[in-house]
Amino acid sequence: MDLAKKNTLAWIAITLILFPILLLLGILMRTVQANGLSAAQEWFYPFMTLHGVGMVGVWYVGAMACAERIIAKYTKPSAAISTFAIVGTTIGVVLLLVCVLIGKFAAGWYFLYPLPFKGNWPVWAATTFLLSITVLGATWLIWSLDLLRAIAQKYSISKALGWHYIGGATEPDVPPAIIISTVSLLACVACLLAGVTVLVLFDAELIAGVRNDALLVKNLTFFFGHVLVNLSLYLGVAVIYDVLPQYCDRPWKANKIVAISWNSVLAIVFMAYFHHLYMDFVQPTTFQYLGQIASYMSSLPAAVVTIFGALALVFHAKMRWTLTSALFYLALMGWAIGGVGAVIDSTIAVNSKFHNTLWVPAHFHTYMLEGLVLMVLGYYYHFVQENAKLPESWGFHKVILSMIVVGGYGFLMMFYISGANSVPRRFATYPAEVAHGASYSGFAAVFATVFFMGLLLYAIETGKRWLNVRG
Amino acid sequence: MRKMMLIWTVFSQLVSIAAFADVSDGQKLFQQRCISCHTVGKGKGVGPDLQGVTQRREQAWLHRWIREPDKMLAENDPTATALLKEYNQVPMPNMAITPEQADQILAYLANPTAEAAASGDANTAAGTTSEATSPGGSSQAHDQAPTFATRGRTQNIAFFSFLFIALVIVLVFFWVGSTTSNPQTIDMKAAYKLRKVFFISGSFVAMGILAITMSKTPYADALTTPDNVIYATAMQFSFTFSNEPVSSAQELSTVSPISSLEIPRDTLVEFRVTSLDATHGFAIYNQQGVVFAQTQAMPGYTNRLRVRFSEPGVYPVLCLEYCGAAHHMMRTSLVVK
Repeated sequence: MDLAKKNTLAWIAITLILFPILLLLGILMRTVQANGLSAAQEWFYPFMTLHGVGMVGVWYVGAMACAERIIAKYTKPSAAISTFAIVGTTIGVVLLLVCVLIGKFAAGWYFLYPLPFKGNWPVWAATTFLLSITVLGATWLIWSLDLLRAIAQKYSISKALGWHYIGGATEPDVPPAIIISTVSLLACVACLLAGVTVLVLFDAELIAGVRNDALLVKNLTFFFGHVLVNLSLYLGVAVIYDVLPQYCDRPWKANKIVAISWNSVLAIVFMAYFHHLYMDFVQPTTFQYLGQIASYMSSLPAAVVTIFGALALVFHAKMRWTLTSALFYLALMGWAIGGVGAVIDSTIAVNSKFHNTLWVPAHFHTYMLEGLVLMVLGYYYHFVQENAKLPESWGFHKVILSMIVVGGYGFLMMFYISGANSVPRRFATYPAEVAHGASYSGFAAVFATVFFMGLLLYAIETGKRWLNVRG
Repeated sequence: MRKMMLIWTVFSQLVSIAAFADVSDGQKLFQQRCISCHTVGKGKGVGPDLQGVTQRREQAWLHRWIREPDKMLAENDPTATALLKEYNQVPMPNMAITPEQADQILAYLANPTAEAAASGDANTAAGTTSEATSPGGSSQAHDQAPTFATRGRTQNIAFFSFLFIALVIVLVFFWVGSTTSNPQTIDMKAAYKLRKVFFISGSFVAMGILAITMSKTPYADALTTPDNVIYATAMQFSFTFSNEPVSSAQELSTVSPISSLEIPRDTLVEFRVTSLDATHGFAIYNQQGVVFAQTQAMPGYTNRLRVRFSEPGVYPVLCLEYCGAAHHMMRTSLVVK
């Protein structure tokens, strides 16, 4: 087996070890919010930080690992850089575990300035956290640049972005996965550079005492975070564009509309992040309006082109329903539903009621848990099954899918109801005004446990094939 | 449906029974208000380990410290100042604890083992649902979630729009998925025409909603003048209202804080909100426990939040931006007369 395939197997193993642990932390947090396990309350915020950074990181690398395999069908990414990405990510994760589990660092996944310097954790914990993010950011930047290099070896930048389709040409044939991956990786480089700038500013304050501008750092932080999460989803969509047609027995080709759509996504995603700063009234008002317009516009190419395209692909198709194709299909549905929740929250008038309530985790958990996670899990199963070719039980797979859907959406609905009822996010326990939040948390923990059980069954199915392929 | 309601009710009851079973008032209060920063016999947290604290400190000092730590810090009480220094400049927040509640907490701290034994289980979780909490003296516990009538118009429109669109998406996905049992060749030209219709109609809907909603932003209108200006200064983990701006922790100890903010109804109030440390949220809840208005409290900047209150009563203010270990405790309130 070649090194690239071994690396994909390593990413599958890393994901299937870290995801259940991070999921358990999430269940623990919801249980604490339901007034259970009060002894764990002092760990709520450190675990919240670990859960947040961990989940964003795991699903970013998961999406990158899948996209890397897809890109490898058309060109040759460096296997050595891929190995480097595994090593760098592992070092970053170890540093993160140290600062959270030993230093009780708890500034949250986007470590909003200047909280890392204002917490009750030791300075070394904040320093180790910043070092961890630096290692992860540098590693992922190099990984992204290598994938772009590999694409550029075969396609010019204009072809890789499908500009010839926009110009009216139909040749050369560029796979949609290449166009979407190029868009996503360019966005990735931009957001990681913003992340690096944030870290440099933090370091300047830490080392030289240079005081930073809170609004500037907040803009950079949310540019980094917003784009990183969105591009992870886009990479997942690129994988679906490439693999779902194999199960539908129909082609899904790039054309002018697909090219226009994904090029406009690249422009829009950079402006939509302004919606994270609506409640910072000192931000120039033009940016606030731009944030709402960009957020609304971003849903059009996604919904009208990609979702519509996927539905047209499946409509009356000679479909081969397997764990992979069903997970992909459900992932697109989750992406669409989460997108609706996000667009609603991106309306300034609504955001003034929903900002930092549980509506926020409601929508991002929807397109992560029932979107990106299913895209990556779908591809992982596809990869090991294609190589292992073990017999499959559709009945058993339907049980797994049912648990993931019922558990997942039940869990998410508790967030949506809580958000609509003004229950704040990121509260270890709820004060009297929003005490009803505890009941929703209890239900959410039960539903999340159902999802967790479904995930374990998925891990058994994928694990059997993983072991077979690994030999 | 009735069965679902029954299951829901039983589950809620189980959660609340687990939360409140056999816990003394003092212990319950401790677990509600203190446990995020303090332990009893398990070492230092954000604040000191309170094992034996009633022997180490005078009862009167402890009683006042529990009730109004912000005032004692402002008065430069030597013990309070030393504690602030020892615990990384993280101040003990004013938790709006009444004298009776302070008595109950001190009774628990004086004999935590006996209290725990009497209550059956020292580690039983306490609920967060029971007592009056506002300095205005009004009881505002909300075990019950807001209803359709009290949730707020914006929240209702957003929530039910979401449910409706999500349901449509689910139905479309299931319908399209079900067509795969009858494989056919489809007319892609017709599909592309349909896509065009969706794109154009979707664009019109998006522009329509943008046009309607973008005029309803919460940003201060430069052409109107507020009737009243209040300065709200956030600092881990408390808010201070004043009639003068505060730009540093030193100034905070010299300005005269408004101990109980009262606002006449139907006047336009401008809150000038800032922070002296981390970024905080400044969210005003109405009496139904629903977010009424909010902005961020950011160091180095002042956000101007304009609010017109039409209903008299006590309005809690919560921090909605995560700001550290006692974030969920950071609160104040104001009274509309």
